[in-house]
Amino acid sequence: MLFRSASIFERCEERLSENTSKPKKKRKLSEKSIAYLLIAPSLLLILVIAIWPVIQSFYFSMFDLRLNNPTKSEVHTDYQLDLKRYLDNYPFLQGAIDKELRKAEGQNEETLTSVKENLNQLNSTLLEDEKIAERYEAIDEKLMNFEKVGSKERMIEVDKDRAQEIQKKLSSVEKELKALENLEDPNGVKGLSSALAESVIKPNFIGFDHYAKNLTDKRMWMSIWNTVVFTVVSVAFELVLGLLIALLINKAFFGRGLVRASILIPWAIPTVVAALMWKFLYDGQNGIVAKVFEEIGLVNRMATLLTNDTGAMFSVIFADVWKTTPYMALLLLAGLQTIPRSLYEAAAIDGAGKLKQFFTITLPLLKTSILVALLFRTLDAFRVFDLIFVLTGGGPANSTETISLLAYKVMIAQSNFGEGSALSVVVFICVAIISIIYISLLGRDLLDDKK
Amino acid sequence: MQKKAGPLFYIGLFVFIFLVMFPFLWILISSFKPVSELFGEKAFIPYTSDPTFKNYESVFVNHPFLVYLKNSLIVSGVTTIYTVFIASFAAYAIARMQFKGKTIILGLVLSVSMFPQVATISPIYIILKNLGLTNSYIGLIIPYTTITLPLSIWILVTFFRKIPFDLEEAAKIDGASIMQTYWRVILPLAVPGIFTTAILVFIAAWNEFLFALVLNTEEAYKTVPVGIAMFQGQFTIPWGEISAATVVVTVPLVIMVLLFQRRIVSGLTSGAVKE
Repeated sequence: MLFRSASIFERCEERLSENTSKPKKKRKLSEKSIAYLLIAPSLLLILVIAIWPVIQSFYFSMFDLRLNNPTKSEVHTDYQLDLKRYLDNYPFLQGAIDKELRKAEGQNEETLTSVKENLNQLNSTLLEDEKIAERYEAIDEKLMNFEKVGSKERMIEVDKDRAQEIQKKLSSVEKELKALENLEDPNGVKGLSSALAESVIKPNFIGFDHYAKNLTDKRMWMSIWNTVVFTVVSVAFELVLGLLIALLINKAFFGRGLVRASILIPWAIPTVVAALMWKFLYDGQNGIVAKVFEEIGLVNRMATLLTNDTGAMFSVIFADVWKTTPYMALLLLAGLQTIPRSLYEAAAIDGAGKLKQFFTITLPLLKTSILVALLFRTLDAFRVFDLIFVLTGGGPANSTETISLLAYKVMIAQSNFGEGSALSVVVFICVAIISIIYISLLGRDLLDDKK
Repeated sequence: MQKKAGPLFYIGLFVFIFLVMFPFLWILISSFKPVSELFGEKAFIPYTSDPTFKNYESVFVNHPFLVYLKNSLIVSGVTTIYTVFIASFAAYAIARMQFKGKTIILGLVLSVSMFPQVATISPIYIILKNLGLTNSYIGLIIPYTTITLPLSIWILVTFFRKIPFDLEEAAKIDGASIMQTYWRVILPLAVPGIFTTAILVFIAAWNEFLFALVLNTEEAYKTVPVGIAMFQGQFTIPWGEISAATVVVTVPLVIMVLLFQRRIVSGLTSGAVKE
């Protein structure tokens, strides 16, 4: 009796009395559309914030995109003319040529006059185009008043033939001026002309060049190898240890809650904090874990842990195993608890030993749980970033640099967004391949609608 | 497999827990050590004769640690509330309504949760920069959705499925509309599941590092993980301060885990286990 209001009861009775197929059908239709309405916001967000950026990353990866270089800070597929650069140099170049002309003689005078002529001609052909002329005036005025010119405003699209023609003229001007000798102020004319020659911006579309470059680059393969080593070794240890722990604590004992809480804590703390803790414990001079490892002969020198390449990889894996084994154990424990006890009792009556019970009952029935846990852990390990960023920074000598870390370094530290995007697409493809393998092993179990 | 545990078992258990907890205990001790005892021979002594709060004081005085905490609280809090709110509708529809393309949508949600964050960061950075949203709260909350929304939908779907379907039938017969059923019948019963999801989402947002590192570079907008990671200087690493900051961050999480361990475990394992 959830709805006591009389009106609802009346409506309800009405509906029951006219129990025809018509309103029923209407209700079903509306359920469907309500379902889509309920899902719409989530779906929209996922499309805009997750799927679109991945597509965009792929698009960016085909451009020479560098945020620290104004001519390459945006993707452009067309030729452009940088009017600000043009106007910053053109009038001064003309002035400088005039100055030189006053002193020049013979061959120099001839060349300078013809260059001046060429430049004038180029300038007037530019101004014939109304669109260019309009922008030209506007920017010129802004420059006169020492106002800032916007990064979008300074660029104007030019068609390919035109752009190449302008480029050709500017380059020949540059070449001719460079060849001159005995100039009054050689740096002035030559510098201005080469600056002017850079006014034409070529499209920074480069196709698959970033991929071609990286797929032949040792550093990228090294980072993929490091990622694979890290993933395989740490996930293997986590699985074995996690299974062991799960089997151990899958029984009634005093203080179960406390055990569960204490193994949850490494999982709950931020990876960065865990990495910092381990960095302190591994420290070559003051780290207690480094000291203990040295005492028991695991390493020959305390400093080996973070300064030797095998040592650093071992340290990173050890810290990861410490942090994520509890998670693995919990997932497997939950799987263990769904196995009915009667199966073990029956097996015991049939005379099967503990080991046989494990291989014939536990392992087959735990298969799905193990695969799901492995799927999540493998993907997490493959995407590893925080732990290595803080603990080793990828060092020593890139021996612990993973592919995500390399993508970050290229993208953010070098501001090379095109190449960084290409590397991140590589990460994406690897992750996709891993998930496809696992999901084909799991079958449709994972997404099954029924319990 | 249920059997009584012997004394050997408890000893083994104790050793195991000690190993798991050892890094925390060591950091806790170190955070109270004066600087002179953090280096050299004294660094390996598991106690201090001269306990001090200097490291804690320094964390809050020499570093804007309170600002980091505030930023993390705001970003994770808002992210949690808004994603769980939006996800609850989608999860309800997926778990309890019949419509075409359900498996595809669930598959999409799962695959998005597997996306490497590094694959989305360059367009997100460029867009947010052009909009002037880097170094702001909203500029971090938006990209966090990529991580938290699939996670919340995934967990909530399993919780919604556990609520008996008879209840909906009863409400339908009583003449309640779908939204009425959702608000008055299902939602009150789903509160524990939603709460569990919120805890997990909060932890995920609180711990996130890559987006925070790239997008919010100004001191005033840094979150705790980025703030702590940047404690280490170019040449020296202030281990005392780092230990103290670690304790400050870890203690609330430990309390949270102790209080909600059952919920956290049920949330973590939902979807991973077929019952």
